[in-house]
Formats: sequence, structure tokens, C-alpha cells
Amino acid sequence: MSERPHLLLVDDERSIREPLAQYLVRNGFRVTAVENAAEARIRLNANAIDLVVLDIMMPGEDGLSLCRHIRETSEIPVILLTAKSEETDRIVGLEMGADDYVLKPFSPRELVARIKVIFRRVATGGQRVTAPDGATYAFAGWLLKTQERTLVDSEGVSLPLSTAEYNLMLAFTTRPNQVLSRDQLLDITQGREANAFDRAIDNQISRLRKKIEPDPKAPTLIKTVWGGGYTLSADVRKL
Amino acid sequence: MMAKALKRLRLWPQGLVAQIIILVAIALFVAQAINFALLLRERTRIELTAQTAPGVYRIVDALDNRPNRRSGEDGDRRRVQFLTQAPALQGMPRPDVERRATAMFADIGLTIRSVRVVEESQPLPMRRWDNFRLRAAGERPHDMRMARLVMVAEYEPGKWAMTQSRIGARQPRFGGWLVGQTLILYAIVLVPLLWVGRRLARPLRQLTRSAEQFARTGSADPVEERGPGDVRQLTTAFNAMRSRIFAMLNEKDRMLGAIGHDLRTPLASLRVRTESVEDEGERARMSETIDEMNRMLEDILSLARAGRSSEARQKVDLSALADAVVEDFLELGSPVELADNERAVATVRPQQIRRALRNLIENAIVYGERAHVSVEHGDSMIRLIVADEGPGISEDRMEEMMEPFTRLEGSRNRETGGAGLGLALVRAIMTEHGGALRLANRPQGGLEASLVLPA
Repeated sequence: MSERPHLLLVDDERSIREPLAQYLVRNGFRVTAVENAAEARIRLNANAIDLVVLDIMMPGEDGLSLCRHIRETSEIPVILLTAKSEETDRIVGLEMGADDYVLKPFSPRELVARIKVIFRRVATGGQRVTAPDGATYAFAGWLLKTQERTLVDSEGVSLPLSTAEYNLMLAFTTRPNQVLSRDQLLDITQGREANAFDRAIDNQISRLRKKIEPDPKAPTLIKTVWGGGYTLSADVRKL
Repeated sequence: MMAKALKRLRLWPQGLVAQIIILVAIALFVAQAINFALLLRERTRIELTAQTAPGVYRIVDALDNRPNRRSGEDGDRRRVQFLTQAPALQGMPRPDVERRATAMFADIGLTIRSVRVVEESQPLPMRRWDNFRLRAAGERPHDMRMARLVMVAEYEPGKWAMTQSRIGARQPRFGGWLVGQTLILYAIVLVPLLWVGRRLARPLRQLTRSAEQFARTGSADPVEERGPGDVRQLTTAFNAMRSRIFAMLNEKDRMLGAIGHDLRTPLASLRVRTESVEDEGERARMSETIDEMNRMLEDILSLARAGRSSEARQKVDLSALADAVVEDFLELGSPVELADNERAVATVRPQQIRRALRNLIENAIVYGERAHVSVEHGDSMIRLIVADEGPGISEDRMEEMMEPFTRLEGSRNRETGGAGLGLALVRAIMTEHGGALRLANRPQGGLEASLVLPA
């Protein structure tokens, strides 16, 4: 990757494409902006693109189809721009292999933050956490439904999770039996660095334990590793 | 009027088939009763004639044959006695027979000055043949009572002819006959009626169920077309209407989707452009306004889509749901409290209930400083209660607050926007779940909003 990452921005709306391209340039990216999928394919072949920002709703070939094409041919990360808030569209997007999505109207700052998170992950050789949405993970009699952000107990009763709890639970179920430090958990779940006084993770862990441990005082699922962090001590199956 | 009066009768059934059957049964019974009365009258007349005729004919015969009467033919069993003195008659007078006899004599053209008839009754010893006949008919043998009519006609002044005739004393059992006949009629008429009624009622019930399902979920399977022609036509019309409404709702969804997309795109463009505004404060206010517009757009779209949710119903622990929603507010540093709660499981669409609860908590924070959330588990329902510490709402405005585009005026946070759709959306979500949104002022001050859901 060069000093300034090269972004490919694909959006048919000129009123979004042009100011967004300017904003991204101001924030230290090189930007190639195109208005349709066909042009995007040409650019993808001709240039070394580091990341694609892709609008879903476009005339001609739509963003989802292009996204699938990119995923089939390369490892270039993709962020989807979508105007739809219907749950299903997000899931479809992530199943097509997109790394992230932002809802219109999005804050350009947030978009830049997400782009940076992805680059950091790529730089540290992190695994692509593709398509958690829509999947269901089974462990120790529990189901974690990512689409609804809920845990389902053995009786089939859903226990909805708060956003923080869900992110933490997902971090554990996608990395079972690994020891995760507080810093790692913070980074995975919130994409930020921990500070020394941050007890947020510990609070969330104890909340999660209350929900899923038979006895929260003697945890058997989410175990504390002395001096290390936490680990989910269970076999996880992806359904 | 009549229908109203009938409704007041507690035993009067509401069902179409039951009503028809009861009406037909009553009509049949009345017709049978009239029929019976007419029959009885006719029968009485025939019986009267049958009782009168033998006496009359004998007297007529005797009077006609008087001049050349041959002795010996009647022998000693002379059936008509000629008297020159008015006989002393004993027994029950029969004026009805007298009138009939007078009329018959007149018809024949015989002038009779007066007729007197009495009925004498005496037991008749059982004859062997009668005995046999009764046994054959399955009846117990019993003594027959023999009745005789004694008829005296004054055919000339001072001259009387007297004759006697037997009549059957036993009245036939007419009542039993009526009951039996009515029952047979009932069987003949009501059984097919019941069958037709069921044929009629089943498709109607299906129609009702389908219409209710439509009202609840916004979609329903077409009703199978069967039953009598009229009902089938109704079903066809209903199905056509159903698919028209369905098409309209789909059209509405598509339109809203398009509107949403078309409005969001310029909003997104505006949002991106705000970043090039130099003044930091100005930029923040602009993006706030855009977010506000977007939230309103979302609310309008959600409200318009209410009742057409694609989310599946599932068993959800509402206490855990409340906990998760409150936790998200706490993450943002909002003043929300949650009381400890028992597990409270209901079958709901969790995302929608989350949304409803979130709206109530947002309102509580904006208008009532703090939100106190609790869950109450009753026998047949679960209440998610959000209480605040604000001024509450005056009673006469409560209903109005749940209507779309209504906002509480004079709130201290005038700049907190919203299109006044929050409670309308909550109410729509509750209606879809077969529950309700209740608002009440708390005795200690503040408003209490609760989501009431069937457990």
C-alpha cells in the first residue's frame, strides 16, 4: 500500500460523488470517482485500488452485483453506501462479501473512520470478519442470531442484547477458545484503543455472564484468564 | 325493532344458521297448529254429519214408506217408532246434532216441526272382534263405551218419529298425531336446512377469519370458493378485493421505498457538503438538522409501513429486551433506570418492540428528565412501563397525543425536534401485536407510558 491509499468511489449521484470525493481527498486519500459499475470494472483492472466505496442503488449493474464480482476476483475491501434501511438489504450486502456498510445520509467522518478501521485491520493482517450478519452461531445450548442481535436459549426464548453486549458476544463466538485481552476486545468491538481506566469491557462481561451463565459467580462459559483477559470456553458451530 | 327485541332475549342465538332454523321451526309449528285447527273443525263437521245422518235417513225412510209399509221387513226390529205423545228423553242434549238434523231435513225437503236429540251412554261389553282388533293395533283391551243418539222428530203436530243410532264414543287421539306429524315434518325440513346452513356458514366463517387475519397482519390467503352460488360470488368478490388491497399496499410500500430513496439521496449529498463549511458550530448545526430530517423521514416511513412488518414473531424475554434497550441508552449516558425484573416471555416481533420502547424512553428523557423502566408480569399480559418525572399530560390531551403529527406544546425542550410520530408509531406497533399503548399521569407526578402485550 502506498503512502496515500487509493479509493475507488462508485456512485451514480453526482451530487454525492463529487463532494464526497473532495472530502476524502482532503482526508488524505487518493480518490478515483466513477459513476457506474462498468467504469468501475475498468478502473479496478487498470489501477491498484486499496478500497472500494460502493453505492448499492445504481442504474445498470447495481452495487451488490459489482461487490460480488470484486469479492470473487480480489481481496479489495468494500464499503457499501445504502439508502435503504430495511434489515434485509444490509444482510444481502454483507453476504455479498462487503466489509462494512453506511446508511445514507451518512456522516463523512464516520465513513472515513470506518475506512481507517478496515485499513488498520488489513495492515495488522487481521482476519476479514465478513458476513456475520445473517449467520447463526450455536454454543453450549445457546444460539446467537446475528441478524436479530439476540441470544436464544434452549427453550427457544430470545434474549435481546444491547449493542455492546452483542458486539462482545460476536467477538467471542467468532473466536472460541481464544484468549482475548481487554485491548483486543475493545479494538474488535468498538474499534478504539483502551485506556488504562476503561472498565467498560469488564462491565459488559459481567452483564453477559448474568445472561448466559448458569451461575454468574462461577462462570463456566466466559472464563477469566489470569493476567490475560477472557475466553469463551465452548465449541461454536456456525449454522 | 323486532331484531332489537330479539337481541335482548338472552337465548336468541346470534348465528345465521341457528336463527334460520329456529325461525323455521317456529313457523312450522304455527302452520301445524293452524292446520290442526282446520282439520279438527272439518273432522268435527264430518263426525257430526256421520252421527246425524243415520237417524235422519231412517226417519225420512220411515216417513216415506208409511202408506205402504210392509210389516215383517223390519220385523220386531223396527227402527223407527211412531209416537203420538212427546217422549220423555233422558240423557245429554245434543243441540249441535239437532241443528244439523234440521238442516238435513230441510235439504231433503221434508218439513219437520222440531227435532230433539239426546245422547245416551252405557258401557258396552267387549266383543271378541273388537278385542282382537285392539290387540292387533298394540293396545290394551278395554271396555268400549257405547253411546246412542236418540232422535225425535215432530213431523206433524202431535206426531213424532223416534229412532236410535249407535255412535262411537271414543275420541280419536288427535294430539299425539299432531306431535308425531310435527316431528316428522321437522326431520324432513330441518335436516336439509341444517345441511344447507352448514354449507352457508362455513364459507362465511372462512371469510370472516380471512378478513380478520388481513386486518391483523396485512396479508391473508385467498378464501376457497365454495358453498351456494351467492356465497361463492361473495367469496370471489372478497378475494378480488383482497388482492386489490394487497396490490395497493404493495404499491404503497414501493412508493414509500422510492420516496425514501429519493429524499435520502439529496440529504446524503447535503450531509457530505456540510463538511466543507468552515464554521465548526454552523457545520454541527447543519448536520444536526439533516439528521433530524432523516429521523422524521424514517418515522414517517415506519408509520406508513406499520402492520406490514416482515419480521417474524418469536418468543422473547421482554425483561431481557428492556435490559438491552436501557443498556444502549446508558452507553450514551442517558438518565435511564431499570428495575430488576423477572423473566417475562411473550411472542412478539422483537425489533419492533425495541423500537416502541426506545421511543417511550426517548420521550421520557426529553419531556420528563428521567426514565424509570420496569416490567410487570400479569396473568394474561405483560406491561413494559416507562415512567418519567416531567409535568405529565393533561387528561383531555392524552388521546390526541397518540395521533400522528401531534406534539406536546410548551415543552421545555423546544429545540428537540421530531415530527410528533413517536407515539403514533408505538401505538401502531402495539395494535399489530394485539396489545395497547396506555398513558396515565402518575399520582406522584410525571407521566407513565406502558406497552401492554398479551403474554
